[in-house]
Amino acid sequence: MKKGFVILSGMVLASSLALAACGSDEAAQNAAAPSGAESVSSGDAGSGAEAQPAAQTTADAIQASDMSKLPSVAQQRTDTIIVGLTDPSGAFTPYFHQSGYDGNVSSLLYQSLLTVDDQGLPVGNLAESYEVSDDEKTYTFHLPKDAVFSDGSPLTAEDVAFTWTILHDKAYDGDSQIPELGIVGGADYKAGKADSVSGIKVIDPQTVSVTLENVDASAILQLGGDVLSKAYYGKDYKFGELEYIKKLHENPLGNGPYKLEKFIPGQEVRMIANDKYAKGKPATEHFIYKTSEGDAWQFVETGEIDYSSFAATQENLDKIKGLGFLSTVPYTPSTYGYLTLNHEHKQLQDKAVRQALTYGLDRQSIYVDANQGAGEVANIPTSPISWSYTTENINPYAYDPDKANQLLDEAGWVAGSDGIREKDGQKLTIHYLGRKSPDTDVFIALAEENYKAIGVDFQPEVLADFNALVSKVEGGDYDMAAFSTAMMTDPSEGITQFIDGEVLGYDNPEVTKLNKEALAVTDTAKRKEIYQKLYEVVNDDLPVIFTNYRKIVYAYNGRIENVTVSPFTGLADGLSEWTLK
Amino acid sequence: MGAYLSKRLSYIMIILAAASLMIFCLYAMTPGDFISSNIKLSAERKAELREIYGLNRPVLERYWTWLTHALRGDLGYSLAQQRPVLALFNTYIWNSFLLAVVSTFFTWVIAVIVGVVAAYRQYSWFDTLVMIVIFGAMSIPSFFIGLFLIKIFAVDLHLLPPGGITTTGSNAVGWAHVQEVIKHMTLPVAVMTLLGTGSLTRYFRSNMIDVIRQDYIRTARAKGVKESKVLFGHALRNAMLPAITLVGFELPALFGGSLIIEKIFNWPGIGQLYIQSFGQRDYPLLMGFTMLIAILTVIGTLLSDVLYRIADPRVKL
Repeated sequence: MKKGFVILSGMVLASSLALAACGSDEAAQNAAAPSGAESVSSGDAGSGAEAQPAAQTTADAIQASDMSKLPSVAQQRTDTIIVGLTDPSGAFTPYFHQSGYDGNVSSLLYQSLLTVDDQGLPVGNLAESYEVSDDEKTYTFHLPKDAVFSDGSPLTAEDVAFTWTILHDKAYDGDSQIPELGIVGGADYKAGKADSVSGIKVIDPQTVSVTLENVDASAILQLGGDVLSKAYYGKDYKFGELEYIKKLHENPLGNGPYKLEKFIPGQEVRMIANDKYAKGKPATEHFIYKTSEGDAWQFVETGEIDYSSFAATQENLDKIKGLGFLSTVPYTPSTYGYLTLNHEHKQLQDKAVRQALTYGLDRQSIYVDANQGAGEVANIPTSPISWSYTTENINPYAYDPDKANQLLDEAGWVAGSDGIREKDGQKLTIHYLGRKSPDTDVFIALAEENYKAIGVDFQPEVLADFNALVSKVEGGDYDMAAFSTAMMTDPSEGITQFIDGEVLGYDNPEVTKLNKEALAVTDTAKRKEIYQKLYEVVNDDLPVIFTNYRKIVYAYNGRIENVTVSPFTGLADGLSEWTLK
Repeated sequence: MGAYLSKRLSYIMIILAAASLMIFCLYAMTPGDFISSNIKLSAERKAELREIYGLNRPVLERYWTWLTHALRGDLGYSLAQQRPVLALFNTYIWNSFLLAVVSTFFTWVIAVIVGVVAAYRQYSWFDTLVMIVIFGAMSIPSFFIGLFLIKIFAVDLHLLPPGGITTTGSNAVGWAHVQEVIKHMTLPVAVMTLLGTGSLTRYFRSNMIDVIRQDYIRTARAKGVKESKVLFGHALRNAMLPAITLVGFELPALFGGSLIIEKIFNWPGIGQLYIQSFGQRDYPLLMGFTMLIAILTVIGTLLSDVLYRIADPRVKL
């Protein structure tokens, strides 16, 4: 994976949250495509077409075994932690950056109102608490009295209101979804018909509320994002003119654990501990994101960076163990890989065909074994780390060519003289699109064989890069195309593509209805029940072929203690506790 | 000469205008645009952003907007980096230039010396050895030799840093900073020199061989001129003439950065920035950079023609 930028999907608990998580894993996966979780790639796992079924040891954390092997460069670095990051561009203002790597940086410079726990459920962060009104449309956030930005200026409800408001400006070109939440009065403000967004109310300096037009259970994750100082970012603000923000990008003013010390383009982002951080000044004085495109190994091995992520292949794990001075945290990103299907093409409109294509594809070999264990087969549109994940009543679609053949026979597809099935004079062909990568090569090699065995004519086409793939898919000339979601925090993010027409020609009223229901309540237990039903439907109907989850390890220098990494928010929440021995 | 220059300059303008239009259209026609890779955006939001950025306009209109701004010296803001394109160039190009200029210097010095000696001792064991080494160096892919050197000198021996231009977190200034940069650029310069020397040495060798056989060299020797003066004073001067053409071609290379070397050695140069911007379809940056290279190329060509005229009075312009 290479180029592009980290883009995260759906809703993001404050773009920074998901961005952070996404970026930090992608980033370190060396040539990891910034394009977020775009397609099924697994960083440096490229080497493995060779099957290693026994490579399932990823769940165990490795502890540094021999600190005497620690390179002296790292030994001498007593007050600085260095982490690799593919390519921060310098636009460190939350909501306004175009690169997810900038999101990684801003997630350390700003503290969001809320964060999420290990299952992706919102919990207070800067905000002491929040409550939802009885009609579930109004959210009220309570800020602590003594909240300040890193320059000592107070952080109040006015700043929060300003942040939400400026995102509704018609010139806003970032990818925050707040303007699309349907905040009352948001559309009027955007159209220039109102001076403020009427649904956003400052109740007192520590209390701010926001009212939505419709109940949306996923809204809380987006509203709970970073806060921009009105005094700083709003000083020159005029409606319709946001150009001035670009000049502030390199001098961010936040309230996070670290402050920006110096940005050296293409080289490093230096940060220094913020002594006014709400959770207390971080234990390590300096933190540096080192730009390290390309192979992160050379920097980890030489002790130049302290922390990096790698695909959890057996090869990488062995290497980490062999180095002796690295410890690891295993990690499953909250994404899922899938093969999108074009339902406008007749052969794919039949559920039996979609099921047969899933039974007939040896996903275990392609995504797990060929990846040396750095993967897991997916069957529903959510990640195993999410609170919504389930395996109950979920068909695992284990590789079963006989079952696939039987389904196709029953659906009326009969093998012709060349072994390819036909129905009504139409051959069963699958025109596949993928993006150039070692994983795509593995997929094509195995899928070609798998599909030949069930009489499907598999015609792969490989596009040069992610943009080219997206553009080709938008043109509609495909049957099947490989993608992965971006980082998801709320489970609804994994569903959106089945509702909004992104999966071409797919329209299942049941899915639409359940999705609506799941968003219309904010109670997690109730939502979980609805998602259970929804996943059963989707697992049976297969709007897309679910393929895989990725498995990653964070490797960090054994001289760092108290390392915690959130699967959703990355380093941001735990970093202030990391200490150097 | 004056008339020649003004004619050439007007050609250059026409060439650049045509090139800019062609380049703009090529980038515009590359599948996907800056918005399309952001899988987080809904279709409506994508349309809205295309409107804000003007990406939904006809290509010629977009070109005209770009051109009118560019003529006023405004290359626009990079979409991905959110900074003015010229400011980005200023940040990254000099890093690339540093690598290029040092490695070019070494490449030429080594190529001239080795080329001359090899030509003088044509078919000697030295000549044969040089040819073998040259073909070897030319055939090894740069990424392989780069990674190999990193493995040996940085990872195993800890003699040199594995990449970057300075030590991370370093606050060195003055001489200490210079030393740090020299240490970091040793490996990339070595690789670039190794790869560049091969073809250039062959070039000088064959030029020298041609020149050495000329009558005026025999005359010089017959007059009793010292052999070293014959070689470096008479022969080399003439053998270098065609090399002036190469000087012109070197000009864009000095500023263009090296995609592979910069990537392997994590060098913060323009080559890396360019390739990454291409993946993102960051049009203003792509356009700005490609035009810069186009301008340097035409200037380089002009320069070598003029230099040739100055160096060799026989050439008429």
